Amino acid sequence: MENRLKEEARKLLKEGKVDYIVGYGNGTVKFRTSPLITNKEEDIESLVINPFIANNLSRYPTEIKGKLGIVVKGCDSRSLVSLMQDNKVNRDDMVILGVPCEGVVDIKKLGEQIGADIDQAKEIDKEGDNLIVQMDGSKKTVPFRDVIFDKCFGCEYPTPLEYDILLGSEVSPRIEIEKSLKKIKEFEDTDAPERWRYWKEQFSKCIRCYACRNVCPACFCERCFVDVNIPQWITTYGSWQDNLVFQLIRTLHVAGRCSDCGECERSCPVGIPLRSLQRKMVEEVKGLFNHETGVDKDAFPVFTHYEATDPEEFIK
Amino acid sequence: MEETKWEPKVVGFLCHWCSYAGADLTGSARMEYPHNIRIIRVPCSGRIDPMFILRALQNGLDGVLVSGCHPGDCHYQSGNFHARRKFAVTRKLLEYVGIEPERVQFSWVAASEGPKMAQVVKEFVEGVRKVGPNRLFKDEIRDGE
Repeated sequence: MENRLKEEARKLLKEGKVDYIVGYGNGTVKFRTSPLITNKEEDIESLVINPFIANNLSRYPTEIKGKLGIVVKGCDSRSLVSLMQDNKVNRDDMVILGVPCEGVVDIKKLGEQIGADIDQAKEIDKEGDNLIVQMDGSKKTVPFRDVIFDKCFGCEYPTPLEYDILLGSEVSPRIEIEKSLKKIKEFEDTDAPERWRYWKEQFSKCIRCYACRNVCPACFCERCFVDVNIPQWITTYGSWQDNLVFQLIRTLHVAGRCSDCGECERSCPVGIPLRSLQRKMVEEVKGLFNHETGVDKDAFPVFTHYEATDPEEFIK
Repeated sequence: MEETKWEPKVVGFLCHWCSYAGADLTGSARMEYPHNIRIIRVPCSGRIDPMFILRALQNGLDGVLVSGCHPGDCHYQSGNFHARRKFAVTRKLLEYVGIEPERVQFSWVAASEGPKMAQVVKEFVEGVRKVGPNRLFKDEIRDGE
């Protein structure tokens, strides 16, 4: 898949079909990948595709001007389609290189499985359904399913829905919704004051770095409501009250646009389980309005549209 | 000092074209409804940002009532339809994070529905009274403070 990508990317740049290639390169820390955005042919050799490509690159088309050749996984492609629905990106300005995705490795989970910091691993290879971790003098085999992100268990669209070039063969969906929603269901079973206490505790940790906002493809407002100072909705210092209100409003802003890529939670430096909020909204929007993010390119964004038959049993 | 009895303090966001006129009718028909509500007039229920609701709760109000025209009656054709979608998810999210559902209520009240307005406010205030004062956004008071 990687070779195919390099070949296609090189061709696209050479033929001038795209101005930039947006893909994955190796990160500065071992086994982590970081976005690689380039217009130089010699950088193409650094492109990678491996089980660690976590970033959602559909963040970039709204920020980079020019034609892009962009590498997307299943969830990223839905973010991209959602941006098309909102008229934020133009389909003709992109050449989409689709990566059929078997799940992305959660570095934290992998560390727990091998019982060591993953920096100590020499090499990690995927062989069939297992991940072979070469350590100093030892070798560990970890089932791949045990180390992928929670979101990947519930992935209904592992193969990108929108692409120009598919870099591999299609992957069939692995639907284990229960496993993916386990955290949320457990949380829902606790009583209301307990739930409130939980979020209060979580958001007391928040340092308001806005990583969740900056990494989210659905957060495309030119001026975020937290940056508005007339009126100032949210104070700039981090009190848990303001942190929580900020995140709740952000959750509502991206509701119906969230493809459950899980980047908010992954990027959070203090480990707030943000996906529990976002994923909950994905479920609600699907249940209430039968809308799934980025599945249908021609569908209306969910909150710019309405039906006469929308649920209203809660309105008195 | 004699302890004063707690009374709920709630805000009502009423749309100018229906609910506000409805509340007006309630008054001019001399119907009584709880004085616990403070009414803010907005152009349309579609004007209500979920932010208003959260900020009201954050600033210590005990409840938020949002009221607009019946579906199909919107002065701006579709404002309340959009509002309806927005409120449906807002409600779910607030409940999910642990805010009592009684604190936030939505209703449709037309300009001619004076008695309904009184009824809605009465029921809403009673509901808020049951769940008690809003301490959600209060910091816990530490010993010695």
